This record gives sequence, C-alpha cells and structure tokens, in this order.
Amino acid sequence: MSAPSLRRPSGLTWTVLRLHRVALIAGGAALLAVAATLVWMYAIGADARAAIGPCGSPGTGLPSCSALRAIGTDETYGAGIDSVGTVLSYLMFPVAAWAGGALIGREMESGTAQLAWSQSVTPVRWLAAKLALPAVLLTAGTTTAVLLIVWARQDDNPDLVGAWYDPDVFVSTGPVAVAHVLAGLALGALAGLVTRKALPAVGASLAAVLVLHTVLEQVRTGLWPADTVTGRAALRLPVSSLDLEHGVVTATGGRIGGDLTCVGSDSAADIQDCMRHSGLKDFWATYHPESHFWPLQLVESGIVLAVAGLATAGAFRLLRRRTP
Amino acid sequence: MSSTSTTPPAVAVEAHGLTLRYGRRSAAALDDCSFRLPTGRVSALVGPNGAGKSTLLATAAGLLRPTSGTLTVLGTAPAEARERIAYLSQDKPLHPQLTVAETLRMGAELNPARWDAAHAAAIVEQGSLDPKARVRGLSGGQRTRVALALALGKRPELLLLDEPMADLDPLARHELLGTLMADAAEHGTTVLMSSHIVAELADACDHLLLLGGGRIRLGGGIDDLLHAHSVVTGRGTPADLAPHTVVESRVTGRGLTALIRRDGPVGAGWETSEPSLEELLLAHLRSPSAPALLTPGTTATPAGVTA
Repeated sequence: MSAPSLRRPSGLTWTVLRLHRVALIAGGAALLAVAATLVWMYAIGADARAAIGPCGSPGTGLPSCSALRAIGTDETYGAGIDSVGTVLSYLMFPVAAWAGGALIGREMESGTAQLAWSQSVTPVRWLAAKLALPAVLLTAGTTTAVLLIVWARQDDNPDLVGAWYDPDVFVSTGPVAVAHVLAGLALGALAGLVTRKALPAVGASLAAVLVLHTVLEQVRTGLWPADTVTGRAALRLPVSSLDLEHGVVTATGGRIGGDLTCVGSDSAADIQDCMRHSGLKDFWATYHPESHFWPLQLVESGIVLAVAGLATAGAFRLLRRRTP
Repeated sequence: MSSTSTTPPAVAVEAHGLTLRYGRRSAAALDDCSFRLPTGRVSALVGPNGAGKSTLLATAAGLLRPTSGTLTVLGTAPAEARERIAYLSQDKPLHPQLTVAETLRMGAELNPARWDAAHAAAIVEQGSLDPKARVRGLSGGQRTRVALALALGKRPELLLLDEPMADLDPLARHELLGTLMADAAEHGTTVLMSSHIVAELADACDHLLLLGGGRIRLGGGIDDLLHAHSVVTGRGTPADLAPHTVVESRVTGRGLTALIRRDGPVGAGWETSEPSLEELLLAHLRSPSAPALLTPGTTATPAGVTA
C-alpha cells in the first residue's frame, strides 16, 4: 500500500523525511552555498589566472604588477576553492555526529524508535530507511559538490588551488569524498545503536571518524605503489608529482634518504666531481606522479566503503540481536 | 474455583517459561514466567516496582527479545503480530517536533493496512486539541491523548498499556479511561494494562495478572479471584485456619484477621467476608512468598505453543 511514489513520499520515506526536515533543509542550504561559491569561483577563475601571470611595470605592454596585486583576485579564488575543499574533506564529521545523535541516538534515548517499531514497521526496515534515505541524499549532494569543485578548479593550477595530493584537495576532488561521508553516516548510526543515547553517540561518532580520518591521512600515500627513479631524473621529478622520499645512493649500493649532498652544485661536471669526492654513485627518488590520482582515489574509496559496509552490517546485527 | 467461561476462549497472550535478562550478569526481569491471557479480557497487570511489568509489556509488543522461553501473541510471535498490536510505553514517547496532525499522519503512513484516520482524529478532538499544535508544547495529559490516538487509530486486536494514566489529573484520567474502555468493549479488543491505581483497575478491568519476582503470583478473572479468597476474623492462630492457605494474617483487637485462599468451607467461629480488590492486592503484595494461584483459564497450556 505504501508503494514508493516519485511525486509524494509515503510510509517510512515520508516519516524519515519529515522527522529530519531540519537536517534536510540545512543540508540543502549548505549545498546551495557551496554551489554558489563554486560558480562564483569559476567566474573569477580567468582573472585569478591573469593575476599570477606575467606582469610588468607600466609601459612594458604587460598588465601592471601593482594593479594586479591590488585586486587580489587570485587570493579570493584560492581561498574560495580552498574553503569548499576543506568543508568537503571534513564533511564526514558533522554527518557522523548527526547520524549518531539526531538520526539514531536521540530516537533510542527518547523511545521514539520503539514508537516506530510498535507501528507496523519492523526494526530492520526502520533502520534500513533511516540509513538508505540519508545515504542517497548525501551521495547525490556530495557528488554534485565534487563535480562543481573539479569544474571550478579548471586547470588545477597548484599555485592557485593547491596540489592534487594536498589532503583537503585529494579528498574533495574525487569519489573519496562520497566514501568518507557514507562512512561517517554508517559509523554514526552504529555509535547511536551501541550507546542508545544522543550525546554519547555524538562523542563516539566523532571519535570513530577522527580515528578513520587520521589513519587515512597517515596511510594515504601508501595505498598504491609509488614510482622510484634514479639518476638525474630523481632531481627533476615530473611536474605535479608528490615527492615521497629522495636521497643519494652510496658506492656500496646503500640508500640515504633526505641527503642533498651535491644537489646544489652548479654544473653537471661539478655534480659528478662532488659525487666522486663524497663516495656517492647516484640519486634516487620515490614519488607519486599525478597519474596515480585515480588509483589512489579508488583504493581509498574501496577501503572507506568497506569500513562503511562493516559499520552498517554491525548496526543491523546489533539491532537484530536486541529485537525480535 | 470456577473458570470464567465454559468454552475455551482464544488466546491473546501466552507465555511459557518466559525469561528475560538485561545483560548477562543482571538479575532476570522476567523469570520463568508462564501464563495465558484469553482474548477479549481487559486485564490489569499489577506488581511492585521492578516486578517486570514494563518488561513483560515491551516483550509482548515485540520490542525485546526474550532470553529464553516462548511468548505467543495472537497466535504467533510478537514480531509477526506487530500490525495487530498497539503498545503505549510508560513515558509515551512522541516526536516533539511534529504537530498533532503530523503525528497522526505518521500513524497512517506506518500502518498503511489498518489505519482508521477518523477514529484517531476523533480521540484527539475529544480533548479539544489543536491539530496544528506541536507535540513539544502539549501537557502530559494531552500527550497521553495523542499517544492513545496513535495506538487506537491502528485498530489493534491487543492493546498493551504501560502505566497509561500515571501522569494525568483525575478528570483527564476518567475521561481517557472511558474512551479506552468504550473502544475496547466495542471492538472486543484485548487489553493488558499495568497500573498502580487500584481504583482505575477495579473500574476498568475484569482480569488480573499480579507479577512479583518476574513471575505471575496471581492470575485470573477478578471475580473468580475474589471468590477464591476470604477475609476471616476470629479467635485463633493462623495454624487454626488449615487447610486453607493463609496469604496474610495480622492480630487485631478482635483477634486474628487473615486473608485466606479457601480450601473447602471455613470452620465455625470465623467471621468471613469477600475481600475487596484492594485488600486482595495489598495482601499479596505484602506477602510475596504466598503460593501462586492461576485460574485454569489463565494457566499456560502444558503443550506449549499451540499456534
């Protein structure tokens, strides 16, 4: 009887949407604000690029340096993109706190969850609706924001909008953003069911998400094998590479990280001279070229979605164990 | 002792060795509890605080999983009968951010197969509640009325009420209890209602389940139970009252006054009268060690789950 209708939500769908109307409005407003900011950033993108382009004194035929600096479009642009990126990369925190507190914890604490279960709704269906609807909306919203931010970053000029591997940039420009938010939702829901109280659930959700977020930042670059080069190439990594470690190779074949001996030499001959004197054979570097962006994104997304899946399975298991 | 009805009535709730513990180490809230509640009865669930009343009601509502034993509700497991049961918990949880009308709408959305919108609206209207008022701003009595409308709008076959009238003033209590009982009588709804207020029970209920220590100490039709007991007064000691079961006795100015469960006629020299419901309840509450008594209609069938 409560067949899902596209025009008018009914049944549990109506109930979940109505109960969390404030969150729905807040989420919609946040998405609108993000979209407006990014459209604005896209619009001033060309000026921002001109502002860090070549300039000269008046009369040289180039734009006046002082005039460009005075406008500061590049700073506005960089700050705008940056702030949206930061919001997106930390979005899992408010989502987890909301899921733990308002979505599940408060309902368990006040007994309104039991109120739903004593209608014609099983606890499992209740939790499924409570998770599925926010998951769909969060996925749609976050995907929109990520697409907009990628569009507004245009040529990804690292001088303006940060390099692809900066943590906030990395998280906010790919599918990882969606995975993070879904993990926040699932961990929050699990915390709400474990604690059965709103406030402790908020605390537990935030703690869980903080651990996940921190661990990911630590291990992120190790989620895909890095490239290693030796020789002169190690001193001149491709543009936009993430330099993980570099150093010198000794005559005995050992590698010393972070050793910059001889790098400062002026000419190729000087370098070879210096190396001979220091008993060094070669240079080396391990790095992620920009082409590793997608493998890194996909591996991290997979891991985070697995965490989300486990938390969801745990939540259902806990609910099934407690209720008949 | 006589059974209340001659033909075996259908069973609304039947428990066999029902045990429920919250956590592995804690004491059992329900401890090997067995009884049967026939359909159509309005049963009072009484007992001291912590006797397991709320636990029994929530378990029958399909909200708690028993640790062991079985509980059959309307011929099936409580979780399967969810649609046909209404449950009103002690603190009457409602969503504070919804209006009264939205709360009833929620009832309609979550009970698509059974919802009687006109009936639910009528209960709310009787209390002259503004449908646009937010639940947050309602008084305790008004909230109870909305919660009751949500429960009755479902047209339940079994109504489980946990201290339904506890926070109401006498007038509102009388009014709501009237609504409830009229509704139950009209539709033949089985009601299991916990309460501390004996007057409320005596008016509304025809059946009694007395819980103590997680088990039923006394169960059956109220009239049957009252008939089975006598208040006796006379000169003598409790031992003189054998073979009757002495539930409670005390020495008064005129000798000994005791509430006994009769076994045959009471001997000469004792003045007997039928106890009031209050006397019966108080005597059993004060004497938790009195042997349990369940009338045949309220005793669980030994065969176990029949459905």
